[in-house]
Amino acid sequence: MKGFSTKAVHGKSLRKDPHGALRFPLYDAVAFESESARDLQLAFEGRKPAHTYSRITNPSIEDFEQRVNLLAESLGVVAVSSGMAAISNLILTIAEAGSNIVTTKFLFGNTYSLLETTLKPWGLTARYINMEDTDQLHRVINEKTRAIFLEIITNPQLQVPDIREICRVAGEYAVPVILDGTLTTPYIFKSKDFGVSVEVMSSTKYISGGATSVGGLIMDNGIFDWEKCPKLVDSARKYGEFALVTKLKREVFRNLGACLSPHNAYLQTLGLETLSLRIDKSCSNALRVSQYLETCGKVRSVNYPGLKSSRCHEVAKAQFKDKFGGILTFELENKDRCYAFMDGLRLIKRATNLNDNKTLIIHPASTIFCEYSPEEKAAMGVSDSLLRLSVGIEDVEDIIEDIHLSLEGV
Amino acid sequence: MKLKVNGEIYAFENASATLIDLLREREVELPEMVSVQLNGAFVKKESYASTRLEENDEVEFLYFMAGGGA
Repeated sequence: MKGFSTKAVHGKSLRKDPHGALRFPLYDAVAFESESARDLQLAFEGRKPAHTYSRITNPSIEDFEQRVNLLAESLGVVAVSSGMAAISNLILTIAEAGSNIVTTKFLFGNTYSLLETTLKPWGLTARYINMEDTDQLHRVINEKTRAIFLEIITNPQLQVPDIREICRVAGEYAVPVILDGTLTTPYIFKSKDFGVSVEVMSSTKYISGGATSVGGLIMDNGIFDWEKCPKLVDSARKYGEFALVTKLKREVFRNLGACLSPHNAYLQTLGLETLSLRIDKSCSNALRVSQYLETCGKVRSVNYPGLKSSRCHEVAKAQFKDKFGGILTFELENKDRCYAFMDGLRLIKRATNLNDNKTLIIHPASTIFCEYSPEEKAAMGVSDSLLRLSVGIEDVEDIIEDIHLSLEGV
Repeated sequence: MKLKVNGEIYAFENASATLIDLLREREVELPEMVSVQLNGAFVKKESYASTRLEENDEVEFLYFMAGGGA
């Protein structure tokens, strides 16, 4: 079983279903009984692989984690309640007051808010650089740096950092690289092969199968030696390569309670089976739509990593081969024009979210980034004239017709 | 040979046993999910076959999936 799609369909279950069900059942239960008091004690101590309580482990969630682990070829996976839960749980596991995370202002708005608004008062600082200039890493990494955090394709700037080079520099300082791989998933980009220590993602997006459910993933690629992370030294001595996953499962994730619902795990397992088909379609649609926008003469600019005109095309091509994701942006004259265009659409939905089966459009400056000042928005590359399109899996002619008719109206 | 396995005294007949022998003898569940500690120190999977057990060794088979609950 080598191919991604074959693995996605068949998976590799740890436990055999007692009835031979071809689809791993949904265990929508809170608690699990033990045969004896001693067995329950062993389960609590981590000495027996038994489920006790669904906030911590659950058979359907375990099956989902194992399937993701197989596809990502990672060491261990922790499924959580959302992409933001993945980021916050991971940062709280590896960083402490007085330490810092090196990142960029080209971040998802809520991730920036987590760092600047939620975690800063607890003593964690973020050091911002331009990830396209890796020399800056040498200037900001210090002995208090606990990770470099970045997104595989920044949202909504659509910058594509050179992941291999960033991981190489991080290696010089023994600092782990955390990558938010939401927009690519292991189908497009196998982060382990590029040296990424841990990948996080919102499984709400591509993986959920069409915006069926909210979820997140933390995938430890098994590359980083966690003895080099001060907060994980003890865990590394006890659990070796499993230090991070164990610290999460037995402490941080357990205590924070950001568990995935078993029902969502079931839906997302279904989503995994068709992941490659949907990504192929959305990527080819996004390329076609971006080519249309580039030549229609009605927009100020178009940005899509798959276009040769994209500043990041060569890096994207080297990392993603022929699939550049389902997200593109374009600019009209101003905010009013953007709103008029959005309101003229008949098929494309005005909604946030990414990588739904449906094509979605949003004006980032007035929504995801509404809490920031004009100066902060400018630093984050979010202008009032920018629209973000998440291209779905409809027939591409229908998507283009909808855009065309609304542009004509504008 | 007398060992302590997961906190309990365990008599192991094989006098020149390795960790892998103990894993098999105990029929450890889900071996791909287990972390093995020998006298408090983590043992890498690739070392199981070459790690010899000694009298009074303490062995722990631990799973990262579990960790207490409500």
